[in-house]
Amino acid sequence: MFQGMNFAPAKLPGELEALRHEVRDFLSAERDWQPNSDFNAGASPEFSQRFAAKGWIGMTWPKAYGGAEKTFLERYVVTEELLAAGAPVGCHWIADRQSGPLLLKFGTEEQKQRFLPPIIAGESFYSIGMSEPDTGSDLASIRTSAEKVDGGWRLNGSKIWTSNAHLNHYMVTLVRTAPPSDNRHAGMSQFIVPIDAEGVTVRGIENLAGEQDFNQIFFDDVFIADDQVVGEPGNGWAQVMSELAYERSGPERFLSAFRVLAEFGKSLTLDSSEEMIRLYGRLSAHLVVLRRMSISVASLLESGVMPDTEAALIKELGNSYERLVPEMVRLHLPGEVPKALADALQECILHAPSFTLRGGTREILRGMIARGLGLR
Amino acid sequence: MNDDQRLIADTTERMLEAHCTNQLIDQAEKGVYPTKLWELLESNGLTSLGADTSLGGGGGSFGDALVVLRQAGRFAVPLPLAETLVATQVLGECGIQVQKGAALVVGAEPGSSGDSLTWTARAAAFGRHCETVYFFDEQSPDQLHRFSQAEITRTEGEDLAGCARDDLRVKAVDAEIEVIKAGSFDLARLKLFGAATRAVMMAGALEAALEATVGYALERKQFGKPIGKFQAIQQQLAVFSTQVAASTRAAETLMVSEELLEIDVAIAKARIGEAAGIGAEIAHQVFGAIGYTKEHGLNHLTRRLWVWRDEYGHEGFWQAHLGHLLLANSNASLWHQVTELG
Ligand SMILES: Cc1cc2nc3c(=O)[nH]c(=O)nc-3n(C[C@H](O)[C@H](O)[C@H](O)COP(=O)(O)OP(=O)(O)OC[C@H]3O[C@@H](n4cnc5c(N)ncnc54)[C@H](O)[C@@H]3O)c2cc1C
Repeated sequence: MFQGMNFAPAKLPGELEALRHEVRDFLSAERDWQPNSDFNAGASPEFSQRFAAKGWIGMTWPKAYGGAEKTFLERYVVTEELLAAGAPVGCHWIADRQSGPLLLKFGTEEQKQRFLPPIIAGESFYSIGMSEPDTGSDLASIRTSAEKVDGGWRLNGSKIWTSNAHLNHYMVTLVRTAPPSDNRHAGMSQFIVPIDAEGVTVRGIENLAGEQDFNQIFFDDVFIADDQVVGEPGNGWAQVMSELAYERSGPERFLSAFRVLAEFGKSLTLDSSEEMIRLYGRLSAHLVVLRRMSISVASLLESGVMPDTEAALIKELGNSYERLVPEMVRLHLPGEVPKALADALQECILHAPSFTLRGGTREILRGMIARGLGLR
Repeated sequence: MNDDQRLIADTTERMLEAHCTNQLIDQAEKGVYPTKLWELLESNGLTSLGADTSLGGGGGSFGDALVVLRQAGRFAVPLPLAETLVATQVLGECGIQVQKGAALVVGAEPGSSGDSLTWTARAAAFGRHCETVYFFDEQSPDQLHRFSQAEITRTEGEDLAGCARDDLRVKAVDAEIEVIKAGSFDLARLKLFGAATRAVMMAGALEAALEATVGYALERKQFGKPIGKFQAIQQQLAVFSTQVAASTRAAETLMVSEELLEIDVAIAKARIGEAAGIGAEIAHQVFGAIGYTKEHGLNHLTRRLWVWRDEYGHEGFWQAHLGHLLLANSNASLWHQVTELG
């Protein structure tokens, strides 16, 4: 069979059920939010702090930095419970999933000691600075650049679509630190930019749903000290690519529409029409299989394998599913639509266009899968 | 899959790769039954997995039988392999001795003709090729009736893959009626086994169709380059592979489970049935006209996909069934049910 199609059955170990119940208890005591299973749609610094107090941010990281050295599968249980409950995870999501692991892998000892403990404490939130006004899918075409100055770098340019930058403290920013050459992937670096640094301006952008979730950021002669460069200058591209499997295979890639399905299910009884029950079964079958695929990949990650193609495959399949759910449910509504279902549907329809864009568009992911098939 | 299952898969694959050729499948459709292939599989113990050796079975589990059937799906085997393995399972569960040769357990409608009792089974898969046929009386489902092929009157038919689907009829006066207690076995469980076989066979056929289609896309040149270099084709094949990946995952759940759970079968047949249509469509689109011929082997896979997705309940049936199962468990929220399934 092809490379990149390894979804060997794996189960979450039974002993994780205690953890699952602990998370459920915490969430039901906390619940005061408008549930939304889209990880991008709710953010609350207070919630993230109380969540951190349970030890659930950076839970897989070394104890030396305040982590709990839990397994990746334990983290899987915690994150899927958060999403299923529709908790406002936006503040800590990126730091926990991406920025922290990046620092652990490529950061200096001093950086780890300085940046990781506040993340774990729920006091330090991160954004991703990759896209630019003229750079979307073709990430290697970035123009935001920095020139070497005494003790650091002088940064100029602009990033856009930066989720939650208005709430967060840092953004891990991909920057050109050497002029473009024949090797398009050379000459890039990742900076830890404090969003309140001098010369950084944040301009909020309202999304289609009328929320402020992303921003444009302007860098105007921002000084970045050498000790805020992640890893080696010039290694930025490889660093960005190294985290894709974590970024693309998680439950957030197929649970964004979960509220719609759950509320739809609550509106049904065994006496509902056969079409409605069939749709409920159909969408649930997809969900169970996607989750099983995602757990298979999580087990590979736990064992140290980097299943990039599998991750792209889950994201593509999961995102298409997330787009299918509201489109099908709206055609199968009960005569009197419960408010919770109507609200979930409305939210989901407004957010749905972003599902197949953020984190790599559908077309780009399909291209990656095609590469796994040996077609490119 | 465990080590035993990997061994079973490899053995089956090697045998089928060498012997289940396109030519053999074509010939089978023209009426030349591949007796030799059957004998090969039987002598290697692949037709009797799932029943205890004390009952004449080959040991192993139904999951092991499904491992064989996924390979059978990949190679479009024109034999009553699924039928025999299901029969073996049913007999094993009922504590009945397993016979040599192909076998079929099938639900049959009781009736009467003159003053004789009759039983009729409609469109029985490979009916004419099964040496022993067990009728499950739909009215008194705790009874199995065993008949030999000689006692059966057939009206022969074919499915759209050209495989035998025969109406089988027995008149009590013409047959020696052997009634076997079937214990707690029932028709719903027979359907569950049948659906599981079709689910894993579809997963196998989908895998094989994807392999063939990607291979063709790299070979076939138009506009001066392999068609697989065109982005439109790449995107289609990427979609195809997501469907194959989901199908494989759903099928493997059935193979590795200690017990065949109704809800897992419902999920697999619902999900893979949906993938079958999508995969077959993309495969044919990429193959162009050559794929639309009898001459080319693709049709062996796609026609079977179209048959299997409808047998033992099409995806719509199992989607609804799953919906009912979830709603019937009204104490647990959907999320709790999903996480409990693992
Ligand atoms: C809600 C949301 C949150 C986001 N958050 C962040 C964030 O926090 N940080 C960040 O850096 N970015 C973020 N993004 C940006 C996201 O990464 C980009 O939207 C994405 O990479 C696509 O870039 P683009 O929007 O410029 O589209 P483009 O790249 O311009 O693409 C437009 C269309 O062309 C297609 N296309 C492009 N290239 C090809 C090709 N080679 N072949 C075929 N089709 C192609 C695309 O698939 C798409 O359909 C966010 C986006 C959204 C919607």
